[in-house]
Amino acid sequence: MTLEQPLATRPPASLAEAAEAHLDDVYGYLLYLTRDRETAEDLANSTFEKALRLWSRFDARRGSARTWLLGIARTTALDWFRSESRRRRREEAAALAERVEETFVEGLSPELETALASLSAGEREVLALRIVLELDGDATARVLGISPTAVSTRLSRALKRLEERVNEG
Amino acid sequence: MTVNQIVDELRATRPAAGEALRLQVLTHASAPAVTEPSWRDRLRSRRRLLLALPAAAGLAVVSAVAIGVTRPEQAAREATAPPASVELQRSAGTPRSAGMTLVGPSADSSRAQEKAPAPFAGRAQRYSGSLTLAVEDTDALSEATQRALSIARDLGGYVVSVQYATGDQGAASLTLRVPSTRAAEAVTRLSGLGTIVAQNVQIDDLQESLDTLDGQLERLRAQIAALTAAIDRAETSAERARLLERRAQAQAQLRDLRANRAATAEAARNATIQLDLRTEASSGVAAPGSRLDRALDKALAILAWEAVVVLALAVALAPIALVALAVWGARRAHRRREEDRLLAAS
Repeated sequence: MTLEQPLATRPPASLAEAAEAHLDDVYGYLLYLTRDRETAEDLANSTFEKALRLWSRFDARRGSARTWLLGIARTTALDWFRSESRRRRREEAAALAERVEETFVEGLSPELETALASLSAGEREVLALRIVLELDGDATARVLGISPTAVSTRLSRALKRLEERVNEG
Repeated sequence: MTVNQIVDELRATRPAAGEALRLQVLTHASAPAVTEPSWRDRLRSRRRLLLALPAAAGLAVVSAVAIGVTRPEQAAREATAPPASVELQRSAGTPRSAGMTLVGPSADSSRAQEKAPAPFAGRAQRYSGSLTLAVEDTDALSEATQRALSIARDLGGYVVSVQYATGDQGAASLTLRVPSTRAAEAVTRLSGLGTIVAQNVQIDDLQESLDTLDGQLERLRAQIAALTAAIDRAETSAERARLLERRAQAQAQLRDLRANRAATAEAARNATIQLDLRTEASSGVAAPGSRLDRALDKALAILAWEAVVVLALAVALAPIALVALAVWGARRAHRRREEDRLLAAS
């Protein structure tokens, strides 16, 4: 009889195993970033399609599968933001506003939901990674491509702003 | 609402993927990987580059040591041979009767043997050689001097003069005479007593002089015989006295010519070799070290050349690398600013 090592302490043997373990993290991160469930689901799908193509490059010694997947999710989301930005320039701003859901995370209080919606995607991103997904500073820094100190600064500002907005409302 | 309450609420409402998305993603993720990493991907791997650098350095060191071990003799010659070239001078048009001189340094006794010419057999020739050798210290100087004397005796020769002086720097000067037929052998053996600093061999043909002297002697003898016959036939005492005086003059010339011929023949019979021995400090030439030393010297020389080549490449490629680095840095900074703008605006 053998005891299986938990996934948190060993690299996943396959992408399917990594997807099973980290799909919620990827989806949650993308949801906070885009504030749209449908978009987050599309981007999560795209993220894992990319991950499948790049799986042979994954090296557990350079970072966890969770960090690696969140990095791919971020690149995918940024591509989406770029295309959205181009599209927004072509279309009227009102059209985009209709697409954004009022409630994008189930269970959140309305005042917190509204306050989150008023933050920028960059602020929501660091909140999602550090607070919601509970990544440590180094892992967050790797995902965002910045220093751990910059992560702390961004998080501090985002929390302060969020607190202000919640209490304003 | 405090920050802690906000954090608690955010964590309590952590989003979860729906079943449809889960099924879709797991279906995709369970498919076999569609692409293998290309050779470019492999080349890009920083770990392989990190391995390649020490591997290249190791290869350079190993090849330098291998060449140094297998070809140390060349290093020894390069280390000990002065830059002057060996020059063989010979007068044009008089291949046998003219003088021939070999000048220049030689790295070892085998090369000295190749270069030192022997007198031509069957002809009377004056052989003069000079050798300047460097020895390690005064002990080696003493030993080399003794061995030089011994070599001269072994070859049937003798020592004309010896000057020997020691102090901080030692030097010895020997003039040796050996039979001309063994002169080349003498030079070869003597050159093995130290590191050759300079070497000079002069061969002058004396056969023509000897032939001339022999002809003059023959004519004088005939003249003396004729005078003797004339004296016997002289009818007056005055004529007899005049002929006697002329014969005495001819006999004196004959004695001079015989002495001259004997001296010329003696010069041809024995070669003169001037041997100068000096300690290294006074000669300024380093003696070849052991085989290990020479191998290390060669290996270090090759490593130095490899370093020069690498440095030259680095100097040539540095501007390109700097420009590429600057472009890469600028693109990265631009991309980051653009991402920040995107995320701030969304």
